[in-house]
Amino acid sequence: MDKLAQQLRQDAEKIEVTVSDELDHRIAASLRSVTPEAESVAVPKSRRPALFWWASSLTGIAAAVLVIIIVNTQQPVEPATATPASIVAAVPVIDWKTETAMLAGPLQQELDALQADMKKAEKKVRDDIGL
Amino acid sequence: MNQTLSYLPLRTETQLVSAAQAGSVDAFTELVHGHRHRLLRFLLTRCESYADAEDALQDTMISAFRYIRSYDPRWRFSTWLYRIAIRNASKLRTPELVEVGDLRDEESDPLLQCIADSETENLWVNARRLLNDEVFAAMWLRYAEDMSVKDISKTLDRSTSWTKVNLLRGRRALDAELNSIANENEAYG
Repeated sequence: MDKLAQQLRQDAEKIEVTVSDELDHRIAASLRSVTPEAESVAVPKSRRPALFWWASSLTGIAAAVLVIIIVNTQQPVEPATATPASIVAAVPVIDWKTETAMLAGPLQQELDALQADMKKAEKKVRDDIGL
Repeated sequence: MNQTLSYLPLRTETQLVSAAQAGSVDAFTELVHGHRHRLLRFLLTRCESYADAEDALQDTMISAFRYIRSYDPRWRFSTWLYRIAIRNASKLRTPELVEVGDLRDEESDPLLQCIADSETENLWVNARRLLNDEVFAAMWLRYAEDMSVKDISKTLDRSTSWTKVNLLRGRRALDAELNSIANENEAYG
């Protein structure tokens, strides 16, 4: 043992502590009123009757058979339409020419009507002045 | 009859433990008799007052007897007892006091009062000032109670590494303090 350890031990022994008689009596009196608690014992597993295992096995088998029957008797479900792999392919191609024609069509008709009106008006003027 | 003679170890510790586990208060009293003083001295290092230390000792004895059937003989009985003592001492400490534990008031410290009553130059006074509670407890159990590192770890509920490291730190702190005191004494002749 080294010097420091030896000194620490000696110094600890020098610290005077007394357990008073009063404290001794208090402890003794307290101990008389206490009884050691029973050690916690592991609860043994309850034995189940053999019939229980048979019953549970049969129930399990019956449930499995029922599931198999239900699955096999069901109508085949139509497979869901597959989602197109490419979104570009799914989007309809816009015919820009058709679009233009559709948009410009009414204007063209209006123009034709106006030109026809102009020609009629011009012819009427010519008739009026005797040309 | 001398009081010491009445508590001569007539039975071994194992026999006393068995008898106490069977409910014998006398066997338990005989079993813990040799530990009381040391336990009270240790509790003084963990409690805020002498009265608290006495209460903690009483609680420790009651708890130890109540749960004696759960005592595992693989442990040293003293280690088991000190572990219970530490728990009981910490129960008596109020949270406020734990928080300001480092700011120990030397005048109200029961251990320092006991040391002051006996002598002034005691290494534990320096240890009390330099080390925190846990390191102090580890040092105390090692050097005052002569416990092994393994038993200290069990008692303080710490790892063996923690115990080893903090014992080393505690020793270094005390060594440094002793060296500085020695140098001061030399300087002042």
